[in-house]
Amino acid sequence: MFGFLLGEALRDLRRAGRVAVSAVVLITLSLAALGGFWMLSANLGRAVSQWRDRVRIIVYLKRDPADVEGVLRRVREWPEVASAAFVGRAEALSSLKRVLGKDAGIVDQLAANPLQSSIEVRPSAAGATPEGARALIERLATLPETEEVSGGIEWVERLAQWQRLLAMVGLGVGSLLALAAILTVTTSTTLVLHARRHETEIMRLVGAPEVAIRLPLLLQGMIQGLLGALIAMGLLAAAYRAAAPWFAPLLERLVGLPEVAFLAAPAVVALIAAGAVLGALGGLLALRPAGHGGAR
Amino acid sequence: MTPAAIIDAVVMIELHRVCKVYHVGPVSIPALSDVSFSLAKGEFAVLTGPSGAGKTTLLRLLYRDDVPSEGEVHVLGQDLRTLGGRRVAALRRSLGVVFQDAKLLPGRTVYENIAFVLRVTGTPRRQITARAFDALRAVGLSARAQAYPAQLSQGEAQRAALARAIVRKPALLLADEPTGNLDGDMAAEVLDVIKDVWQGGTTVLFATHQAPLAAELGRRTLTLLGGRLVKDEG
Ligand SMILES: Nc1ncnc2c1ncn2[C@@H]1O[C@H](COP(=O)(O)OP(=O)(O)OP(=O)(O)O)[C@@H](O)[C@H]1O
Ligand SMILES: [Mg+2]
Repeated sequence: MFGFLLGEALRDLRRAGRVAVSAVVLITLSLAALGGFWMLSANLGRAVSQWRDRVRIIVYLKRDPADVEGVLRRVREWPEVASAAFVGRAEALSSLKRVLGKDAGIVDQLAANPLQSSIEVRPSAAGATPEGARALIERLATLPETEEVSGGIEWVERLAQWQRLLAMVGLGVGSLLALAAILTVTTSTTLVLHARRHETEIMRLVGAPEVAIRLPLLLQGMIQGLLGALIAMGLLAAAYRAAAPWFAPLLERLVGLPEVAFLAAPAVVALIAAGAVLGALGGLLALRPAGHGGAR
Repeated sequence: MTPAAIIDAVVMIELHRVCKVYHVGPVSIPALSDVSFSLAKGEFAVLTGPSGAGKTTLLRLLYRDDVPSEGEVHVLGQDLRTLGGRRVAALRRSLGVVFQDAKLLPGRTVYENIAFVLRVTGTPRRQITARAFDALRAVGLSARAQAYPAQLSQGEAQRAALARAIVRKPALLLADEPTGNLDGDMAAEVLDVIKDVWQGGTTVLFATHQAPLAAELGRRTLTLLGGRLVKDEG
């Protein structure tokens, strides 16, 4: 029976002809837009969470603090702190030398070590939000041993805002196109309904059940949606393959993302399912008014 | 079974004081007036009368293509006034109807047309081919199985419609002028097919305006004239 219904659906699809093609194109565009922005936003999201992990707040200590161990112990107990480590003056100097590389010679010309000792604080999840980080910095500044606090996560938050913006734009553009796609599927289904109304009447007269008459129409809408979704995924994959080698170094330099990832499998499945749902919705909209008639 | 249930099982068609009036703008056309009769299981009845007498109108009431203006229609024990959409489709599946204008699906071959009515009843695929070709052979059309309705002569189209009507081995066959466009030999062949189906246990109501054919069949004859049942004999 399903084979039969599918055959009927393909027959209807052929009948919808060029309008069905436009519907498929629109579904392709809407899902490609949705998927493209989704992919960008997901990659930025990865950059954001990677940077959240790497955020450090440096507390420069007053010269010769009394009880470094005590400060460390207290700070580590705060809920907004994941970990805290002491960096002594000598350690700071040697890491400066490492950073300078072949120019490290300048450091040796200094009479004394000019650097301060510090505590490197890694915020916990609670301390990695914009408000949490601000509060943490203020709290660290009030410690009697503190000379100065530096660091912050404002720019990571700006990145996160960009990511959200991209996701919103993608959702907006995708939804608009999806709406157009649904209406086009509705138009193509209505055309089929009209083209086959004579046939439908005969089918009813020989006792064809309503499923045999309507389900194929719904199926042809779903097929349009599925086709559009599959083409969109193919296009996205091709675009990813072509563009990733160009994008990767740029993203690496800009946001420190080592590699650009394609959409995750659940996202691909969700987009394909969305295509089928769009098509089915379009078909349903066309079938709905006739739904009150019943057999006659 | 109660006596009433036995009657239900035996009476295939029952019309009680049926009137049908068509309204075309301000004009009322009485197509059937006060028609009552019943048809028992296993009967072979001929419905005759001149063109415009109301034969097609009467048959259309029997497969619920239309409803009477007045009166009651029972088919296969069901009151057609109260039948819902799903039950109407089910009723039509247990009938075989040869429409006066054949009503073949235009976009499908003769074979597909006949297979279609088997597919919608969920007949297994292997049986479909065999049964469709049996029906086509019975009406002498197996050579035209792959032709489209537009490529058929009117007589061939009518025989294809007959094949579709008998392929489900219906309990009741309603045939509206199935020999209308056939020459004498072919008409006789089609009659033989219908008689075979009847002998297989199907009740037959056969509408024709060809009075000689009705006489030749020599069975129960119902005669309509101007929408009235004027004779019921045999
Ligand atoms: N849908 C309709 N609307 C209006 N009038 C109709 C309709 N169908 C049939 N009639 C009228 O009802 C009357 C009976 O028509 P019907 O088709 O039942 O005749 P018939 O006996 O089948 O004739 P024929 O032998 O030519 O097929 C005719 O006067 C016809 O014009
Ligand atoms: Mg007629």
